[in-house]
Amino acid sequence: MAEKLQKFSKKLKNGYQIEVVNLPGYNQTYGVAMANFGSVDILLPDQKKLPAGIAHFIEHKLFAKPGYDVSEKFAEYGANSNAYTSYTKTAYLFQTLINPYDNLKVLLDLIQHPNFTEENVASERGIIDQEIQMYLDMPEWVLEQRILNQLYPGDPIAEDIAGSSESLQKINYRNLLETYQNNYRPSNMDIVIVGDVDPDKVESIVSESKFETFEGVPATEAKTMVPIGEGGSEKMELSQGRSSFGIRVDTPLRNDDLVKLQFELNMIMETLVGESSINYQELTNQEIIDDSFSYNVVAENDYCFIIISGSTNYPEKFQQYLQKHLSYEQLYKVLDDQKFERIKRDAIGAYLFAQNSPDAIANQMAELHFYDVNYLELIHLIDSIKREDVLKIAEDSLKKDNYTYYNLLPDRT
Amino acid sequence: MKQEIAKNVVLNIDPIKKFRTIKVQIDFLRPLDKEETTKRRLLANVLSNSTRSYPSFRTLNDREMDLFGSEINVYTRSLMNLNDLAFSIEFADPKFLLSSDDLLKENIDLLSKIIFDPNLKNDHEFSDDSFETEKRNLMSNLASVDDNQDLVSMLKLSSLIHRDNPNKQVPIFGDMVHLNKLTNQDLYDHYQKVIKEDTVIINVVGDIDEDEFAKALDNSVMAAFLKEARHDSKITFDSFDKLVGHPLNEEEHKHLNQSRLALAYVTEKTDPDSSHLAPQAMNLILGGDDQSQLFLQVREKNSLAYSVSSSYHPLSHLLTIQAGLDAKTVDQAMELIGKQIDFIQKGQFSESQIEHAKKVLSTRRKISSDSIQYYIMHNIWENIYPKSLLNDDRYQEELDKLNKDHIIKVAQGIHDIAQYRLIGD
Repeated sequence: MAEKLQKFSKKLKNGYQIEVVNLPGYNQTYGVAMANFGSVDILLPDQKKLPAGIAHFIEHKLFAKPGYDVSEKFAEYGANSNAYTSYTKTAYLFQTLINPYDNLKVLLDLIQHPNFTEENVASERGIIDQEIQMYLDMPEWVLEQRILNQLYPGDPIAEDIAGSSESLQKINYRNLLETYQNNYRPSNMDIVIVGDVDPDKVESIVSESKFETFEGVPATEAKTMVPIGEGGSEKMELSQGRSSFGIRVDTPLRNDDLVKLQFELNMIMETLVGESSINYQELTNQEIIDDSFSYNVVAENDYCFIIISGSTNYPEKFQQYLQKHLSYEQLYKVLDDQKFERIKRDAIGAYLFAQNSPDAIANQMAELHFYDVNYLELIHLIDSIKREDVLKIAEDSLKKDNYTYYNLLPDRT
Repeated sequence: MKQEIAKNVVLNIDPIKKFRTIKVQIDFLRPLDKEETTKRRLLANVLSNSTRSYPSFRTLNDREMDLFGSEINVYTRSLMNLNDLAFSIEFADPKFLLSSDDLLKENIDLLSKIIFDPNLKNDHEFSDDSFETEKRNLMSNLASVDDNQDLVSMLKLSSLIHRDNPNKQVPIFGDMVHLNKLTNQDLYDHYQKVIKEDTVIINVVGDIDEDEFAKALDNSVMAAFLKEARHDSKITFDSFDKLVGHPLNEEEHKHLNQSRLALAYVTEKTDPDSSHLAPQAMNLILGGDDQSQLFLQVREKNSLAYSVSSSYHPLSHLLTIQAGLDAKTVDQAMELIGKQIDFIQKGQFSESQIEHAKKVLSTRRKISSDSIQYYIMHNIWENIYPKSLLNDDRYQEELDKLNKDHIIKVAQGIHDIAQYRLIGD
């Protein structure tokens, strides 16, 4: 085997975790600072609930500093910058050819110095509201929220990551600062730099940086599970109907066990509804699906689910077929040793493909840090999965009580 | 290594070590023809559905998985006036795997089968299964286009600016009118033309031994097809002269949350003594990134949009602007966009904005070479229109000589040629 990637990794005294990976031959340096804090983290220990979209609002507004915007600083040092918020994480990133250390300092400035004011918060509302309106015109996006509201009725995960026009009105500079201070702590963050940089220099820059916020890991409310929704449909102005089928997998697993579970669930889905499955072929032959049909497995702390979705002209048949054919018995029948080996090979290939991309390495490495998984050892985790493990997971999860659905029907009136 | 296997059949090999995958891409090119556009897209889908030896989508996918998740991609795209039907396979570099499989040979073999050994019903039609399934899939995809408002806006704008070019009135992914009447035999007839007549460019990028690749290629099904001379594919240029002074405007209303603006402008040819990169720099200052006038004024200062940007297409001298905003603020946004163009025309931008534009142009160019696709696109352009490429030294020279006057001159030569408004109400 050719030389695998090496990383420098260290937990610093100030609480930060840093990871540095050299990617030989690449021109760019890519840096990401990720907070273990996302759109679902709006329940506070005192039972108070923050407005939906607050994590995303922080992501937008952290760029604003007194008298300047951080993106200008990145630009001065030759970098382009961006940020994103997911259900459970917020990430800030830069990509540059030059000045990696100056850009790292700018990244630290970005995450460490909030400057939320009444004025700048008000002006950002209009921008984010347009972002929300844009998503509301995207049927796939709307469908994801609707199925999440069936999987976790009333839960924060069922809200748009950006919030709603109404929740934006409840976000102000005070609750932004308070939420920031609760969640943006070095011990709740990971910094990854992929590029030709000196790890010692990265360490010294991050070590010297002062973080003016609380220490420790933020307190959060333990999640209470609500019963799964019974499914639903609605009409929307659409040219083509969309359906989604959801499976909730309640699990106490954490850390590397949870990451392993994600791979196992992916293997189950690939076997049952992947492009090389009998079901995919049958659904196609029966004209129930087109090639937009796909599945997505999410395994996060407190949230583990599968969404299968696609365009369809026959939403009822779509749901009935999946209800009937997603079963442990069927998996047991089709997942023979040859199929299992094939699926494993596919997963190993996907892991190598991602290593072509500095941004994929940096973002996956940062994300996996919060699950105590070393990204560079992921191949061993995949390799350790046995067919029996996958069958056991299927037996526990593929139960009709865990299933729900949602359809967006074209409004032809 | 570059080798002309036959007339209009070119093989480029870039033995680059930094990637963990190897990619082989074969592009089939011929001029865009509205009667062929839909056929070529359906052909792409039918050929990637199955082959003679992998006679179903399922068996073909099994094969890809066996090869450690090889990724097959077959699609069409337009390159200027050409329709490019591209087939590619990307696979894990075996040096990173504990496997004794000859992955290079196996993957070339699979790609060859997809292109040259299709799943047939008889000697003049594809298998009914693959034809009917893919026709249905494409119909469904075309129906879904109307649910993607950004795409709808750009297609409408494209249709306006190419009003006099019927071959560009059909989107590159085809249309319902042509698809409905397309028969299996029509498709097979076109397939025969493609494999015999189209200009072919083969690209291989990754850590491979050139001789080993040449040998694998020679032993594959495709070898025989690539030794015959093929037709030329000449680049021609769009002309928007008729629209200068007579811009086309269209407005449509739909039940939507957000309205969309799609605007097109054409720039004049740059003076010979001016930097070739002046239009790109002008675009960057106008709306090319998060430091641009459109971003700062329309989004950040006036909070009118989340998404607002401009793009420049150097070969057609076309500048486009896209924005998503509230219906109530469309006129205000249009006024602001006009002001930003005016700002550049009057030279009110700063030296630091020029420096920033130069830095971004140089950075984007170098960062793009961190992807396999960069090498493939570079080689394609080198074959079909080498003038569009500047080598590193020349690029730097053009950047060095770029000045404020060049940018002002470009901005002053901007002409509004079309405007599409999709109003949400």
